[in-house]
Amino acid sequence: MRIFVGNRLLSALLASAALVATAGFAEAKTVIHVMHQGDPGWVKAYGDVATRFEAANPDVDIEMIYAPHDAYNEKFSAAVMAKQLPDIMELDAPFLANYVWSGYLQPVKPLIDKDLLDDMTDSNIAQGTYPIDKDLYAIGLTDSSVVLYGNKKYLEAIGARIPKSVDDAWTREEFEGYLEKLSKLEGVKWPIDTFRGYGIKTEWITYAYGPLLESAGCDLIDRKTWKASGTLDGEACVKALTMMQDWVKKGWVVPTSSGTNQFYAEGQPAALAMGGHWFYAEASAAMKDNIVVMPLPKIGDKGVSPNGTWIWGISATSENPEIAGKFLSFLLKDKEYREYAKSQSAYPGLKSFAAESPLYAEGGPLAVAFEQASKTAIARPPHPAYPTITSAFMQAVDKIFNGGDAQEALTAAAKKIDEDIEDNAGYPPFDEQK
Amino acid sequence: MSDLALTQPVPLAIARGNGKRSLRIVQSLCILVIALVMISPLFMLLIASLKDDRFRILADMGSFRAFWVSDPTLSNYKEIAHFSGELAYGRYLFNSLAILVATVVSGLVINSMAGFVLAWGSLRGKAALLALVVALYVIPQESIIMPLVVMMSRAGLTDTFAVQILPWVASPLYVFLFYQFFAQLPKELYEAAEMDGASAFRIYRSIYMPLSLPALATVSILMGIESWNQYLWPTLVTQTDYARPIAVAIATFFGQDSIYWDRAMAASVLMMIPVLILYLAFQRWFVSSFVGSAVKG
Repeated sequence: MRIFVGNRLLSALLASAALVATAGFAEAKTVIHVMHQGDPGWVKAYGDVATRFEAANPDVDIEMIYAPHDAYNEKFSAAVMAKQLPDIMELDAPFLANYVWSGYLQPVKPLIDKDLLDDMTDSNIAQGTYPIDKDLYAIGLTDSSVVLYGNKKYLEAIGARIPKSVDDAWTREEFEGYLEKLSKLEGVKWPIDTFRGYGIKTEWITYAYGPLLESAGCDLIDRKTWKASGTLDGEACVKALTMMQDWVKKGWVVPTSSGTNQFYAEGQPAALAMGGHWFYAEASAAMKDNIVVMPLPKIGDKGVSPNGTWIWGISATSENPEIAGKFLSFLLKDKEYREYAKSQSAYPGLKSFAAESPLYAEGGPLAVAFEQASKTAIARPPHPAYPTITSAFMQAVDKIFNGGDAQEALTAAAKKIDEDIEDNAGYPPFDEQK
Repeated sequence: MSDLALTQPVPLAIARGNGKRSLRIVQSLCILVIALVMISPLFMLLIASLKDDRFRILADMGSFRAFWVSDPTLSNYKEIAHFSGELAYGRYLFNSLAILVATVVSGLVINSMAGFVLAWGSLRGKAALLALVVALYVIPQESIIMPLVVMMSRAGLTDTFAVQILPWVASPLYVFLFYQFFAQLPKELYEAAEMDGASAFRIYRSIYMPLSLPALATVSILMGIESWNQYLWPTLVTQTDYARPIAVAIATFFGQDSIYWDRAMAASVLMMIPVLILYLAFQRWFVSSFVGSAVKG
């Protein structure tokens, strides 16, 4: 009996030891935290990649941290303050300079598979590069652009010329002339949707309207002296924004209250749309052959288009940067992730992905968008003060579109930006760049 | 006929009766219009949640079609009714419910106790303490949110249910509400119970709490709504889907590139139901607390 009890005790002890060992083994797993944003489709796509990575690497746990798009920056600030930065974070490309300057990111070149680095397009390299040390701090499968979508039926009705490449984009005179004609065309409620409905909580205004203004000779800040006064509130910017305000006053632009799509909504009340490349998938599904994709108009002497999107960086505080790099490489090569990105008309940031994306190949419906990347794309100012620059600019544009005085609003924005730069002693070493 | 009507004097009583009836009709019409204005967004939300085309929802929004669905479907509800994985909206709904119940129950106990002590306790500097409670109420939540995040993370509470409950259990507003309610009850009640040998806790539990149903209902409803609608706080302190509440989960439908109105509407309808039930359960006392305070005012 004693022996029996002893055996049971021994078995229990062994079982406990095994449990402890298993628990110990479970604890020994390396946990990689990945912070990201996105809609349900992207959330699922990232989650599925994480599951596949865990299956291939049983000693690693990937913990996905979802941050709502409209509260991403607040969530990021909270993580910084709480010293809980994730190992990997998705970040909006124009904010990269600020993050690197603040010491949140580490260079990714030594951590990412070399074949992926060689596969990056120039525009993708540009969006992930910090201008001071020219090092690569983030990488992504994708990049982005904005084009001018047109309703073929309406454009044919007014006899508009359809540009086939970036080189023959509409001039300002043509563009405004067509807007005026469209405003009088039956069935057209608004000549153009510029997606004012995105509001000022996203990057949209700076991202999409900035290039139009730059085309007119304006810029958000002088990119050599890093001073906004004299540039953002200069004559070119005031004129350019007064021009856009005039479009709004004439009722040519879809108002904020009408939401984020009047181009292919029922009845197709907007004739043109200045929309992101991501807009194509849904627009073409709704409009079939009635959609045309054109380059952004040339308001001044040169055409300008935006670039940059949400890309992946590895935090400076990551205790396992090699594994984080391994996961990022796995993510960017993952076939199903790429398939999902393709279904969303994702703009290629890797050459291999471009080759897999017939939408963007020569002759493809979005070829002109891809052409913009190499011919007209200009990045948003790569400066640590960018969060202030974009916020001040967006508020000024919002005021102007709502009837405010352009000079007054831009002067206030320029002052706010310069004050932020002064408050940070010029963000050295940016102040030595001149 | 019209000549006759003009020449015959109308009896005063009949005229008054007609006047009253007209007034009643006007009043009823006004109430009907106000009710329609208040109900129409909810009705629109419900109708939109039964449409499976998000672009149609958007297109319909500016017209009367927003209040009509020709081919209703529950597909949006089916899409979100998952209980596992990253998009487990069913589970997030239960997370929110658990947080609401825990916050309200513990909040009722803590705040009522504090209110009771402020009203009847023999504390030194009670007046100053009461002034402090009122002063704390005017501090906006946003101004203390970041230090609170740091505190909670240092306490190791990030990504737990506790982090969504603990900071909001005690509230100056509810302490003051209970204080006001208890202070209005007759002093004799307290003295008589004390003379019978009841302890302060016994007096609070057996006499004052049963008498404070209107205050309990008011605090339950206000606290429940507050907890249910929390968005920024859980966004900052939840990481994974473990304790994610429904308000944060709904944010996934508002992506960078597009808004999934169909599923957002269905999730919003589901999100609305528990607070409506909470209100309906307590509304009798809730209304009486307002009426009572107005009369006593």
